[in-house]
Amino acid sequence: MKVSGPYSIYTYDGSIDGFFSVVFHAFQSRIPPADILSLVSNNQIPIGDIIDVTTCPRQAARVRRGIASKSDKKNLRLVQVAHLAETRQTDMLLYRYLVRLFEKPGQSYYRNMLDPLVYDLVQAARRVKKEVHRFHGFVRFQQTRDNMYVAAIDPDNNIVRLLAPHFTSRFPHRKWLIYDVRRKYGIFHDTSGLMEVKLEGHAFELDSGYIGKNARAVREDLYRELWQTYYDSVNIKERKNSRQMRAFMPKRYWKYLPEKSKK
Amino acid sequence: MRKLDILADAAKYDVSCSSSGSNRPARDGVGNTRSCGICHSYTEDGRCISLLKILYTNNCIYDCAYCINRRSNDIPRSAFTPDELAGLTMNFYNRNYIEGLFLSSGVLRSPDYTMEQLNEVARKLRNEYRFNGYIHMKAIPGADPLLVHQAGLLADRLSVNIEIPSEQQLLRLAPEKNYRSVFTPMNLISRNIAESREERKRYRKAPRFTPAGQSTQLIVGATEETDYTILRLASGLYNRQKLKRVYYSGFVPVNSHDSRLPELKQPPLVRENRLYQADWLMRFYHFRHDEILDENNPQLEQGIDPKLAYALRNPHLYPVDLDRASYEEILRVPGIGVRSARIIVANRRFGRIGFDHLKKMGVALNRAKYFIVCRELTTGIKPVVYPEQIRRKLLKSTNGAGTQLSLF
Repeated sequence: MKVSGPYSIYTYDGSIDGFFSVVFHAFQSRIPPADILSLVSNNQIPIGDIIDVTTCPRQAARVRRGIASKSDKKNLRLVQVAHLAETRQTDMLLYRYLVRLFEKPGQSYYRNMLDPLVYDLVQAARRVKKEVHRFHGFVRFQQTRDNMYVAAIDPDNNIVRLLAPHFTSRFPHRKWLIYDVRRKYGIFHDTSGLMEVKLEGHAFELDSGYIGKNARAVREDLYRELWQTYYDSVNIKERKNSRQMRAFMPKRYWKYLPEKSKK
Repeated sequence: MRKLDILADAAKYDVSCSSSGSNRPARDGVGNTRSCGICHSYTEDGRCISLLKILYTNNCIYDCAYCINRRSNDIPRSAFTPDELAGLTMNFYNRNYIEGLFLSSGVLRSPDYTMEQLNEVARKLRNEYRFNGYIHMKAIPGADPLLVHQAGLLADRLSVNIEIPSEQQLLRLAPEKNYRSVFTPMNLISRNIAESREERKRYRKAPRFTPAGQSTQLIVGATEETDYTILRLASGLYNRQKLKRVYYSGFVPVNSHDSRLPELKQPPLVRENRLYQADWLMRFYHFRHDEILDENNPQLEQGIDPKLAYALRNPHLYPVDLDRASYEEILRVPGIGVRSARIIVANRRFGRIGFDHLKKMGVALNRAKYFIVCRELTTGIKPVVYPEQIRRKLLKSTNGAGTQLSLF
């Protein structure tokens, strides 16, 4: 794309379709972005020349097809996973990457990790995947009175959708819900499949992630206390190494881990 | 709750934790296993919690000097029933607290009886609860081969702990045990694994025997064996018995003073860490145990890691040209890990590898720079000329033995 005319700041709703709509818009209008900001993860939007793009699934689909036809499938996967990192610069990196892809198609750029742009994108995708792996362990379900298992999470990256496959294969015959309290949506699973859900009101206490006392199964508190007891008794005091513990399990994750957030 | 406290507390000195190496779908039941393993939490001492690690009972007929559950200790004793333990495991698993069960036990009445109880817990989980998550069980030395075989069909991993790295010392500290009692079940398990593999080649539905293999544990620092002896033993276990993991556990004096054991103020954590590093060199970096240490250098250096020590003892092998050298050679450069080595080999056709790339990959340049040829170091620094200077420099920059014991 030739640089012609002014630059502008684009804003969108933070979704991957929204991001692809921005890309579509920028290419069509030939106004390259000076910055791309998600309205969800940025509270302060600078004053100036702003184009707010409405998410359009049809435009997003066209960009997707474009990427898929320009090179192999892994590119699309890389772009979509890196986008979930939601870091400040990732969207611009992705945009620059896509410009390159569309200008000189047919190359598997993502293979060249010596290229700083590619390396940073691969790193962003890696951060996302790392957090997904962490949350395979850190999700804590609570059993409800009507025998559903629910969990509140607050991850750095927008990973709740990526958690679904693991928990679907682990608990295939059960109703469960994993809810991202910051992004205010979650994944619900029952025997008929997966569904994205938004909850009204406060189903989870924000500081502990617990569901209301009346909603909990009879023995829920008992098992949580047993788990806390277990956690304390497997520690070997002579080997205390809290720094190492925090390296693996950073403090920001503690609030929804019952073993780390005792009342 | 008291029971859980006692029996988890008593099990914690077994350091094995992993939930890896197995891959089983949930099918019509609950749970699956993932070959990568998943850690669910981390204790204050920095170790991961993956499995509910617990003893069936801490009653024991043996009296081993190094063990907290020995017969002569005056401690609260307790035991689960198979129902209690299976129920607890399921409730923890359903809440995603754990990846599965690590079931060990003191020896109650007889090895056969104990093994039967452990098998009963696993059988309940597998058959009644249709649990397909991870189960790690101890094979009780001295138990009937048939019982061990049944255990292997139920569990993902079996382990027999050697504990003391030489038979002579074991006899001194645990007069009721010997190497034969440990190696008999271990060899039996490795034979069963090999047979099951063969059968599955011919008949795909043949039952799997411990799909995640077997492991063992060695206590370090309770007796006088050198690191060389320990690594030689571990290497043999990897090669002959085909073990998946050997764990090293720095000796923690758990019993009031016993004249047969050393008095330590602190468990030998640095030594333990160096042993793990050496173990990693054998398992992932294609080192042989006798390349890491030999009769003349029987101990790992505490101040520098074993790969750096190897490089300084073999300066003629360096510098390694990152643009040309084989993957194997690059793996032997101090400061370069498996992931970085792979990236280098896969990407060097796009251009010359430079410091900026290495830094981004996370290569420890402070060590690596003495041993490589790359864009900025076209002829490399010749470590042949001054290995001693490099050692001194690096020792200074890391303040000798640091406190950080991370492996990754």
